[in-house]
Amino acid sequence: MNAIDPALKPRLRRRSTFEFVAWVVCSLLALGILISVSTNPNFKWGVVAQYFTHETILRGLMLTIFLTIASMALGTLLGLALAIMRGSSIKPIAATAGVYITIFRGTPVLVQLIFWFNVAALYPNLAIGIPFTDISTAIDMNALMAPITAALVGLTLNEAAYMAEIIRGGFSAVGKGQIEAADSLGMSGWTKMRKVIIPQAMPSIIPATGNQVIGMFKETSLVSVLGVAELLQSAQLIYARTYETIPLLIVASLWYLVMTLLLSYPQSKLEQKYSRTTSRLPRKAKPVVLTDPEGIAR
Amino acid sequence: MSNDGTILARKIGKSFGPKTVLKDIDLEIASGEICCIIGPSGSGKSTVLRCINGLETVDSGVLKVNGEDFGYYETDTAYHALPPKKLAEQRTRVGMVFQSFNLFPNMTAHENIMSGPVLVKRADKKQSAKRAHELLASVGLAGFGDYYPAQLSGGQQQRVAIARSLAMDPEIMLFDEPTSALDPEKVGEVLAVMKQLAKKGMTMVVVTHEMGFAREVADSLIFMDDGYVIERGDAREVLTNPKEPRTQAFLEQVL
Repeated sequence: MNAIDPALKPRLRRRSTFEFVAWVVCSLLALGILISVSTNPNFKWGVVAQYFTHETILRGLMLTIFLTIASMALGTLLGLALAIMRGSSIKPIAATAGVYITIFRGTPVLVQLIFWFNVAALYPNLAIGIPFTDISTAIDMNALMAPITAALVGLTLNEAAYMAEIIRGGFSAVGKGQIEAADSLGMSGWTKMRKVIIPQAMPSIIPATGNQVIGMFKETSLVSVLGVAELLQSAQLIYARTYETIPLLIVASLWYLVMTLLLSYPQSKLEQKYSRTTSRLPRKAKPVVLTDPEGIAR
Repeated sequence: MSNDGTILARKIGKSFGPKTVLKDIDLEIASGEICCIIGPSGSGKSTVLRCINGLETVDSGVLKVNGEDFGYYETDTAYHALPPKKLAEQRTRVGMVFQSFNLFPNMTAHENIMSGPVLVKRADKKQSAKRAHELLASVGLAGFGDYYPAQLSGGQQQRVAIARSLAMDPEIMLFDEPTSALDPEKVGEVLAVMKQLAKKGMTMVVVTHEMGFAREVADSLIFMDDGYVIERGDAREVLTNPKEPRTQAFLEQVL
């Protein structure tokens, strides 16, 4: 019999040769890039610093934030409506939502944005009126579809299609038994949606929505093609004047990066909170001490 | 509205696609009767129950619950499906207890029990809360109101589910294998609540594999196989003296 020595020796992780090689190669690569970036005068870091908090840039940033919040909020609401329509038992309603989602997810956002900007070519006048009466007003579409409006409409309508799919996915994650339980209590469709399906779908919808917000923040840069002075367009306006293209692009990129990092912290918190293991226990749940469950039960 | 509590079925048929699951089912359950449905899995027992509650619609035959055509109204030429509101109203009078409890995980036990009266019947919140309290106590779970389903054992969850159905004051209670998902230790506590309910004169239809419960509590027993009612009769009579060979074979296996 061999004596077993119970002394506490540390247990070591296996390190492969590849790990050492990877360390060396990646470190050298990082060092090289760092030296190049910091010594190449064409980066003009001074200009970057100068414009980083420039008024035009900050105003562009504000507009980018506004576009993100507005299009996400409106897109989520419209997406919720589409998701509910998609699940409707009334065929034409479900089909309408299906066609909408197919079209808006199946074409590039950039094309959609340009389309809404030029929609006046299709419908020069938007007439709003009550049918069979004389009450109506006509709005000049060209005036209505100002760049910012077109940007907001384009981003919202596109986002709605994506949100509809996310929300629908959340709905379908709610167990069939839950719906049957609600049905057997005689709940109306709307009550069932509000009290049973939506609260239980939230854990899968919220983290995905957070991802969409981060995506949308960067997607807003596309509306620069419409001449909306958001972050990227603001940078472009400056370098069109000063020809300092790369430094200004770095300024814009740094802001996108900063905002994305700021958003990804709450995003990861949200994901943790709604992760599969904890989703069974709503956050309101009080810590409980089971003292004598059987005693009370009897 | 009649305060009825009866179930009457004549030649109910039901199929899922090409598979026929119910064939010419006849049922006659009186008010206050405790009826157990037994049979091998896939025999259509659960489907019968789900039809009585409207979770499935019958394809043919007549189904009257609480003395009314269930889910349909009759005209000279056809049975027309009821609008959702009317169907929901009929469903409130039939309680259903599921094998997998199906409590709403986003609500506490108390909120689960109140969900029916408050969200469906628009009953007074305070009164419903008081009622929920009494119901919790009646299923032996006084003091468990603030617990979420995930914090309760299977047996406790199932008792909350029974209380939730009772909160709607149904005339009929349906139980779909209420103890099949429980560990043996917890089966007793759920059966005890059901026995207590049976004594109060509630019409109950119980799909179960608990032959002991059927023998002790049930008035009538139905044995189903392959979508047919094979044998029916007094519960103790069928359990001790089954007439059909198929019933005999089944009971030999399970008893």
